[in-house]
Amino acid sequence: MDEKREPEQGREPEQGIVLTEAQLRSRRRRSIAIALALGVLVVLFFAVTLVKGPAVLNRPL
Amino acid sequence: MSVVDHTAIELPAVRISEADVGDYIALLKPRVMSLVIFTALVGLVIAPGHFHPVLAFTSLLCIAVGAGASGALNMALEGDIDAVMSRTANRPIPRGRITKAEAMAFGMTLAFFSVMTLGILVNWYAGSLLAFTIFFYVVVYTLLLKRRTAQNIVIGGAAGSLPPVVAWVAATGSISVEPLLLFLIIFFWTPPHFWALALFRSDDYARAGVPMLPVVAGPDATRMQILLYTIVLVAIAAAPWPLGYFDFVYGITSLVLGAGMLVLAINVYVSRERSRSLRATRKLFAFSILYLFALFATLLIETVMRTVMPLVG
Repeated sequence: MDEKREPEQGREPEQGIVLTEAQLRSRRRRSIAIALALGVLVVLFFAVTLVKGPAVLNRPL
Repeated sequence: MSVVDHTAIELPAVRISEADVGDYIALLKPRVMSLVIFTALVGLVIAPGHFHPVLAFTSLLCIAVGAGASGALNMALEGDIDAVMSRTANRPIPRGRITKAEAMAFGMTLAFFSVMTLGILVNWYAGSLLAFTIFFYVVVYTLLLKRRTAQNIVIGGAAGSLPPVVAWVAATGSISVEPLLLFLIIFFWTPPHFWALALFRSDDYARAGVPMLPVVAGPDATRMQILLYTIVLVAIAAAPWPLGYFDFVYGITSLVLGAGMLVLAINVYVSRERSRSLRATRKLFAFSILYLFALFATLLIETVMRTVMPLVG
């Protein structure tokens, strides 16, 4: 897919690399996946903190 | 006259990734991961004592992500082999969807987070063992053994056998005989399973230059090895029963399933004609997956029943 984005009216054409629609779409999906993964990590740490209570700092080894 | 001389430098073309989330999921080897999750679940369930469900879920998630990280790193290092084998040519790296460097970065990130999360949230014994498992699969198996020796999957099989042990250590903070038995079952299951695959994919492996047993020792020697390993596997799989760790339900099931494995391994041994041999090895390969799944499912069910029955009365 080599389609390039058209510059918006009244704006200078973008300099440098311009992503194709396909590249933009896949980047957005990857970004959402990373955000979800980080969200899961935060929830996981929060849930375990609730479960362990003060003992969360008491780890063997 | 200009003070500064401008020299045009030819920069390499910038590659912008079009890889989708699905391509990255494929890097995790989801089918291998599902078996890892299941065997680790059994390791968690049979472990003694109470283990909070949130911690159990965290442990399983970390083990699953660690397994996925191993898969991604393995694919990053084996892109050249995958490209020439029909079974793996469709993977994201040979298809050009993801570069080796991207796969390596993805795998390293997942490995780091899985190990650190398991260590911080559950315990560092389990975290360290998960780190060792990833190291063993990526460095010992993929880098050192796979392209050098026909014993690659025998020794490398240790990595695939460790997930239930990691799970047990996560639950108990210690090691015991039961998880080691699970380790041995998967360890001795690996050679018949992969050599059956290698028998009907030997051309693929030969083309890729991977010294799998059928390629370097021939199909007859491989058939014999499959049979010998299957005999040991059946004996070890039944061992938890006479050793008193599991009841007769598991014992009988393991013997029945083991008889199935043995019959199919004998069938592979005696089927030398090409088309019959192909059928026999495919049957053994397919049944071996069912065998391991059913064996571990029996362990799971028996443990759950043992826990639930006294509560019901």
